[in-house]
Amino acid sequence: MTAATPIEVHESGDAALRVVATSPDRERNWAAVHALATWLETADVDGVHGAVPTYDSVLVEFDPYVTSARQIRAFVLLGMRQLDYVGTPARTPRQFDVPVVYGGEYGPDLQKVADHEGLSVAAIIALHTAKSYVIRCLGAPAGSPMMDGPDFPLPVPRLKDPRLSVPAGAVSVAGRQAVIAPASAPGGWCVIGQTPLTVLNPDKQPLVPYMPGDLLRFHEIPAAEFQHFAGLELEASA
Amino acid sequence: MSGTLTIQQAGHSVVTDLGRFKGPRYGLPVNGALDQFSARAANILAGNPDNDPLLEVTALDFRMRADSDLLIAVTGAPLTLTVGGRECPQWEPVSVLAGETVALHGMNTGLRVYVAVHGALDAPTLLGSCAPDTVVGFGLKLAEGTVLGARKTVPPIRQPYFDLPLFRLGLTRPGTSASPVIDVTDGPDIAEFGDTADLLFNTSYTVSGRSNHIGLRLGGALPERQSAAEVLSRGVPVGAIEVPSRDELLVLHRGRGVTAGYPVLGVVTSRSLDVLAQARPGHTIRFRKTTVAEATARHRAAMRELEALRTSVNTVFGLLGVGAPASWRELMPASGT
Repeated sequence: MTAATPIEVHESGDAALRVVATSPDRERNWAAVHALATWLETADVDGVHGAVPTYDSVLVEFDPYVTSARQIRAFVLLGMRQLDYVGTPARTPRQFDVPVVYGGEYGPDLQKVADHEGLSVAAIIALHTAKSYVIRCLGAPAGSPMMDGPDFPLPVPRLKDPRLSVPAGAVSVAGRQAVIAPASAPGGWCVIGQTPLTVLNPDKQPLVPYMPGDLLRFHEIPAAEFQHFAGLELEASA
Repeated sequence: MSGTLTIQQAGHSVVTDLGRFKGPRYGLPVNGALDQFSARAANILAGNPDNDPLLEVTALDFRMRADSDLLIAVTGAPLTLTVGGRECPQWEPVSVLAGETVALHGMNTGLRVYVAVHGALDAPTLLGSCAPDTVVGFGLKLAEGTVLGARKTVPPIRQPYFDLPLFRLGLTRPGTSASPVIDVTDGPDIAEFGDTADLLFNTSYTVSGRSNHIGLRLGGALPERQSAAEVLSRGVPVGAIEVPSRDELLVLHRGRGVTAGYPVLGVVTSRSLDVLAQARPGHTIRFRKTTVAEATARHRAAMRELEALRTSVNTVFGLLGVGAPASWRELMPASGT
């Protein structure tokens, strides 16, 4: 048994609560909120619609006719105690390899990011492809794999004027985060490249192939190879 | 026996339900009927379970033809409803004969109308919901000539006395106003806005034409975040009030992306989200501070009213021999098959 991960529970309207893990250890916070989300799903409590875990927090959504913020708060505290007792279940992560065409029409903000970081375009690509990223959570839009970003010297600012449409497969960075857009959607992050792989398949269950905790690595391909991958779906390589 | 109806003028309409409640876990917005009270009421008045697929018609005129005898109910924003050219009441069950056209026009005060058909409409589902998702590209596309399946037909209910309404079910219809008051609870990040948070409650906000099912954009005096630190992406509730730019306040509605990196100043209550669903561009909104306990109580009172309505409808339908609960439950697939 480990010491309890400290949490704060914040009201977020009459149909949701935000639970934030507040230990100094980011990895532990992340593991705790994902374990809590899984526990809530497994417990299948009446009136709980589901949980949205991200980095250090989980949003618990519920039906205020069936239950209440007060009851869910008590339930969350119970879950945390139980998880601290049994530990966080481990799952072997899968690896996803993602080919990316950087720059040009595929990554219109690549030069801007390089200028902001005071690095060459080649150095930005090298840093972006240098390591495997842990998929921290599924985010907007449409189950995007949200990852801790590459080891750039500075956080990347969001675009002043968000684009009305960013294509599916866009590979973007903002702040200290990195992401792939599974579907075309508006976006305010800097787009540095695009993968030709299909990420989201609405006819499949689940819609996206990865889960939080899985590993993802980018590798550069020349623009001429983009078409070779067209129509192929993103799949785990290991 | 199942029936069909044919869309004659789609306007801006979709087949939806109460939402994809399992979606947010997988990064998909909940979506579904923006005015949940009106959608539930329409289904109840049509003798359906609350969550059955129904039509949501936004802003524009709409027409459909019944290809078989149907029983429908139309709720939401006030407008002129005609069936076979006869003007008919909203918020009541209405009999439609095969061949008759159902026309909705003149939606001038609210923004969204719900049309439920007894026995519900057939629609494909994703994660258990037929609600369209514009990002994923899921949902039935309605256009002139689209044929929708209704799972049941209902022989015409004869009105024995002229000029008397068929039903008096006693539901309080939600009012629509061009200057609604919207209840808000404190958001988890309200402290980040310091004293400027109070501006939210001292300002009139105007609904922008760029508002949609994802969120309402409101112009007016804006509270300002007091720090500039990067915020980690977090799950944001439907109803979250954010200040993403210097131009507008953003109130997220059911189409909202499930995660965002903006601090949440306040959260609109479930009841008031229904009111916002009816706010038209140009309408003026004021916010009023409330508590989660108060908001929960108001939501529950509204739901109890719908429960009472369901009881009355079931009684009336039972007496008329239409869609008593036993007969519509038969349509649900037996468990394990």
